[in-house]
Amino acid sequence: MILTSANTLENKQIKEYKGLVTGEALIGANIYKDLFSGVRDVVGGRTSNYEKEIKKARDIALQSMKEKAEQLDANAIIGLKISYDNLGGTMGNTILITAYGTAILYEEK
Amino acid sequence: MKIDKERMANSQKAFNSIVLGTAAGLLTYYAFLYYNIAIFGWNLGLIFAPLVAGYVETIIAQKIIGESIGAISAFILFLVTVVYGFIIANPTLGYNVITFGSIIIIIQAAIPTFINYFGLVVIISMFSYLTGFFKKLTDTIDNKIRKLLGKEERPVEIILPYDDEESNKKINSLDFAFITSNNPKIIEYDNIGYFYTTAIFERNTHLLHISPENVEKKHLNELKKGKDECLIKLSEEIKNAGGNGVIDLEINYILNGLGGSSFQIIASGMAVYIKVESLTS
Repeated sequence: MILTSANTLENKQIKEYKGLVTGEALIGANIYKDLFSGVRDVVGGRTSNYEKEIKKARDIALQSMKEKAEQLDANAIIGLKISYDNLGGTMGNTILITAYGTAILYEEK
Repeated sequence: MKIDKERMANSQKAFNSIVLGTAAGLLTYYAFLYYNIAIFGWNLGLIFAPLVAGYVETIIAQKIIGESIGAISAFILFLVTVVYGFIIANPTLGYNVITFGSIIIIIQAAIPTFINYFGLVVIISMFSYLTGFFKKLTDTIDNKIRKLLGKEERPVEIILPYDDEESNKKINSLDFAFITSNNPKIIEYDNIGYFYTTAIFERNTHLLHISPENVEKKHLNELKKGKDECLIKLSEEIKNAGGNGVIDLEINYILNGLGGSSFQIIASGMAVYIKVESLTS
């Protein structure tokens, strides 16, 4: 499955627009985790656990999107957008990660 | 400057009154301990020492400042007598619930309004607000009563994962093309105009939850549902305007409302009329 943020695929012929595919993942409000990352911020360390959580959530969002594209018999996703939205929480740590794009079917030129 | 000097002098006098009151209280307590003036093993110094401290302090303060300063030394004596009488001099009591309960009751006697307000209003309200404990408790009691009365129990909230597959089918079977690219290739289209739709729903703003996972799942479900609603609404509005697709589609999620009390989802893009046969080449 090819993923691209561009409008087209180089050296490939778009055969069909299959539809919209989306994937979402949420890192939820968890006061214990939030406080811990807050402490790390104060002492100046990198909140590596938080980075891992974000990466994990992004992978879930992308995987969910890819599964939906496969369901539509597509073999690529173009116009891909990934956004990280802060949705509050105890220390602003509730983050929604969304990935969406247009599923297409392409053929080699 | 004159006022400041007066204030400083008064503060110094007040401090002296407290020190003298505390000293009188400590002497009294020492005397009660030395002569072991007790009833059923309970030393009366626990009552009289703070009383003497407060009385001496008030008398001195009234003489040198002209007003009472609130018997602070009585409170100091309460703490001293409690710590000494309950913990140091009586180690058999140990650090147990009864000792700490007694300490709380004595402090409560010294400053009742503050302790009552803090204990009953602030702590319990915070606990209830943060955890939703009382809501859960009253729901359980309500269900038990309903069961006893032979009525049907209220359903317990079970959060099922959102059906992504079904959602995907629904969105892509609207006879409508959602395209995220801003300049899609191969298709031919006419522009109609910029359209946007929005959905708002409430967020659980409690800091602590009995089950944070459930709140997380519920929020994610609501966000997905809101997104589907927005997309369906967008397709309907564009169809009404004579279109059959949208390009440069954007989906945004915003925290909104007082103190971030709601989520807002916005779907927007350029409405177009696409020559359907051009969607496939």
